Amino acid sequence: MEDLRVGRRYALALFETAHKFDVIASVEEDLNAIVALLERDDEFTSFLVSPYTSRDEKLQIIDKLFSDRITALTMQLLRLMLEKRRETDIIHVRDEFSQLRRKHEGVLHVHVTSAEELVAEQRTALLAKLSVLLDKKIEAEFDIDPLLIGGLKVAYDNNVMDGTARGALHKLRENLTYDLIKRVR
Amino acid sequence: MSTSDSKNSSATLRNVIFGVVLMFGGTYASVTNVVPGREALDKMGLELDFGMTFATIGVFLILFPMIKGFFLVPLQNAIQERNTNLERTFSEVEELKSEMQTLRADYEKRLAATEAEAREHIQSQIKEAQQLRATLIEEATAKTEALVSQAQSDIATERDQLIGELRSHVVELALGAATKIVGENMDSDKNRRMVDDFIAAAGVAS
Repeated sequence: MEDLRVGRRYALALFETAHKFDVIASVEEDLNAIVALLERDDEFTSFLVSPYTSRDEKLQIIDKLFSDRITALTMQLLRLMLEKRRETDIIHVRDEFSQLRRKHEGVLHVHVTSAEELVAEQRTALLAKLSVLLDKKIEAEFDIDPLLIGGLKVAYDNNVMDGTARGALHKLRENLTYDLIKRVR
Repeated sequence: MSTSDSKNSSATLRNVIFGVVLMFGGTYASVTNVVPGREALDKMGLELDFGMTFATIGVFLILFPMIKGFFLVPLQNAIQERNTNLERTFSEVEELKSEMQTLRADYEKRLAATEAEAREHIQSQIKEAQQLRATLIEEATAKTEALVSQAQSDIATERDQLIGELRSHVVELALGAATKIVGENMDSDKNRRMVDDFIAAAGVAS
């Protein structure tokens, strides 16, 4: 919980500055790239969070890696977090920044999970439908889960629209169990 | 000393004096043979000595008070005392008898009272025992009914639980089979149709 609050404070300061200099999109791209690298490269993650590596050494490596690839504002954030030993909160900062950006742009983030990969027409039709239905711009993240058997489900905020075969079977199980309990009583 | 005793003493003294006179007079008459007609009687075969007879009477009169004083009076007193003792004994016997009757009456009365009290006590105990018996039977019946009711309830609950578990198991088996069948029958075309149906129905469903 403490990490989330800290990440939120960093993200809010970063977003306000990025908005001031109109570099929101660039900064988010930088953050996504850094987080992708952290998630993909365990060695880099170990180096970044290692207590045996000095701050100066970390700063030098980070400068070499990112100084000519990311915006100055993002670089400044990285330096600050390393100096404050908050390098483990970078992912939270990215998540909070994205939420602030979506809120600023009036965009709704949805998570679409399907049994098989959706073709482009389906994705377009789905996003159009969701945009009309929810009356917001939609930003989607697509995942594949073969355990769903067939169909897809859409999750946003605290809501889930389930159109999967697995969900239908689960609902059928719940209904049957409920009926059985009622019959027994 | 009473008047009668005084009279008796003087009569006794008079008899003794008369006896002494007769004894000496009779002895003298016998020895001196002064009584006429003795010889004539001897001749007739009757040897009567009137002097000796009077002397014997005088001796008797002298001896009689002695016999009376040393034998008859103590004997009379002994008889009297014995009679008195007997009377007292009878009286005591009567008193004891009366006392025993009184005691017997008291005893019978007390026995009757005790019997009545015992009877009343027994009746009370019997009544109490009957009440206790009724209470115990009532409590035992209530407990038995409660136990039976609880057992029936437990059996019903257990039965319902088992039926529920069995049905749940059947549901799980059926849904497992259904899942397998659906999974085996699912292909890309059907999946595409499901997605299209979902997109088409999304607005309607909400």
